[in-house]
Amino acid sequence: PSLPDGWSAEKDFKPMGSLSQPTSRAIEPVGPHFLAHARRKRHKRTFSEDERI
Amino acid sequence: MNAEDGDQASRTAIGISFGNSYSSIAYTVDEKAEVIANEEGDRQIPSILSYVSGEEFQGTQAKAQIIRNPRNTIAYFRDFLGKSFKEIDPTPCHASAHPVEIDGGKSVGFTVQETEEGEKSTLSVSEVTTRHLRRLRQSASDYLGKDVVATVITIPSDFSDSQKSALTAAAKAAGLDVLQFIPEPISSLLAHDAKQQLSESSSGAPKDKTVVVADLGGTRSDISVVASRGGIYSTLATVHDYELGGSSLDQVLIEYAAKEFMKKNKNATDPKSNARSLAKLTIEAENVKKALSIGQTAAFSIESLSDGIDFSLTVNRTRFELLANKVVASFGRLIQSAVQKAGLDVLDIDTVLLAGGSSHIPKLSSSMQSIFPESTAVVAPAASASAVNPSELVSRGAAIQASLISEFEHSDIEGSTEAVVTVTPHLQKALGLASGKDGEQFSLIINADTPVPVRRTAQVSVADGGDVLLRIAEGEREIKVTKEEKPQTNGAKGEDDSDDDSDDEPEEVREKVWKAGKVLAEAGIKGVKKGGKVEIQINVNTDLSVTVVAREVGGKGGVRGELEATKA
Repeated sequence: PSLPDGWSAEKDFKPMGSLSQPTSRAIEPVGPHFLAHARRKRHKRTFSEDERI
Repeated sequence: MNAEDGDQASRTAIGISFGNSYSSIAYTVDEKAEVIANEEGDRQIPSILSYVSGEEFQGTQAKAQIIRNPRNTIAYFRDFLGKSFKEIDPTPCHASAHPVEIDGGKSVGFTVQETEEGEKSTLSVSEVTTRHLRRLRQSASDYLGKDVVATVITIPSDFSDSQKSALTAAAKAAGLDVLQFIPEPISSLLAHDAKQQLSESSSGAPKDKTVVVADLGGTRSDISVVASRGGIYSTLATVHDYELGGSSLDQVLIEYAAKEFMKKNKNATDPKSNARSLAKLTIEAENVKKALSIGQTAAFSIESLSDGIDFSLTVNRTRFELLANKVVASFGRLIQSAVQKAGLDVLDIDTVLLAGGSSHIPKLSSSMQSIFPESTAVVAPAASASAVNPSELVSRGAAIQASLISEFEHSDIEGSTEAVVTVTPHLQKALGLASGKDGEQFSLIINADTPVPVRRTAQVSVADGGDVLLRIAEGEREIKVTKEEKPQTNGAKGEDDSDDDSDDEPEEVREKVWKAGKVLAEAGIKGVKKGGKVEIQINVNTDLSVTVVAREVGGKGGVRGELEATKA
């Protein structure tokens, strides 16, 4: 879709809302991807921080 | 030589799938899981123990004793572990040793003639389990040439804590340190994904998909609906049936064979009325069923079935499928009820993974294919060439998990499995881009039920170039039902066409459509080249704030914005 005329926003980004309430669920503690997730969580790292290591 | 000095911590860990009917053991070599055969050459080891004149037999040898020595043969005991006598259903044990009350009904045991002479002894279920696990451990140690000390054991998704602790204790007594219990369906899925990963030789995370894992066992069936997102699994719903399984299919064959026997031998006794004849029939029926999963015909042949009369009968697959129709339909209903319980539609399911011994039956996978839309992949040996042997899925998954965590400390495993698992919020709605004239259309970037934090990237091609507006929105899945008019047959009403008129009703076509919901943010990218592409990355953080980065592929700069976290 093309930009409508007269559309403008600060730094070209316009926040309009936030996410709906999440559902709380348990994830299964199994598999390599979970272990990576657990490692990030325990060290409180984000994705990009994790990649840098 | 002091090479061994430093490496004391590493343990040999295997995966064990411990079932009511069969158990199996697996380990990993070079990231590939292999199922270990025991000394009898069996990969599927019957979970049966038998005592014959003071000697203990297990596995296939013990299974044969159900005919001659049923009261000293213990089978189908897994589900009795950690339960009181009142809670158990002793039906499957009818043909073998019956469960008895011990500890004043608090747990279950079996009374068998363990020694050659003297008193009968009563073994508790935990003792039986310990002996079974000890033998499994021995088989694995002999094969690997290393002492196996640790294991990951798979359990049904509805195993209670008391069942788990009973199993931990029984394993400990057998010299096995349980690193972790993992649910059977998740284990199967892990094994399937690992195989997929190897064959596609892709390094990234597996694709996001919603999977139904149907574990069709001998005496019970367990269905789980799992959201697999970036290789992380969340169980959405589970259903269990404690009566439906492979033995229901055996029953169909037993009935059929018994009827045929009585037809041929008018004056003979019904083989179902005699325990020994029935045991012979039961074992042969299972063999015939297995043979029919591979070949088109199979033969029952039983020596001295009833009144000393030999019995032989050939069954072809078509006949079996006709007889089994009802049971197959119940499997179908069970699976559909699980999808419903998850609040989903069959159109939402990307993959149906069939696990457990009964999944070998070709008819089952073809009936799954008819329940689910064509877009759904049914993974079973009869339906896809890349499928892993469904009997081995569970133990392979356990082996993979065992190799992943064998280096960890117990406290690490416990820490990771408790706090981290339970506190993960999942997205309630899908996230993507709204497009089209009135912003109605929606293209998916992050699916619903994805645990956060999550990061996904998508590319949008811009054919015309110029300035582009990206509208990030939540999306909702709807099932659109359209009635499709049957194409009118051209004039000529032939006489022989009359049969077709019966299903003249317009066919309903159901499809999954995405509708854009609440718009979260807009981003403008200016001056995109003709035929260029715009890359958009959405990050949902742990606190549910959202970061959006958008830029033209190959371009510089780009737009970056952030959304505040949801207020609770």
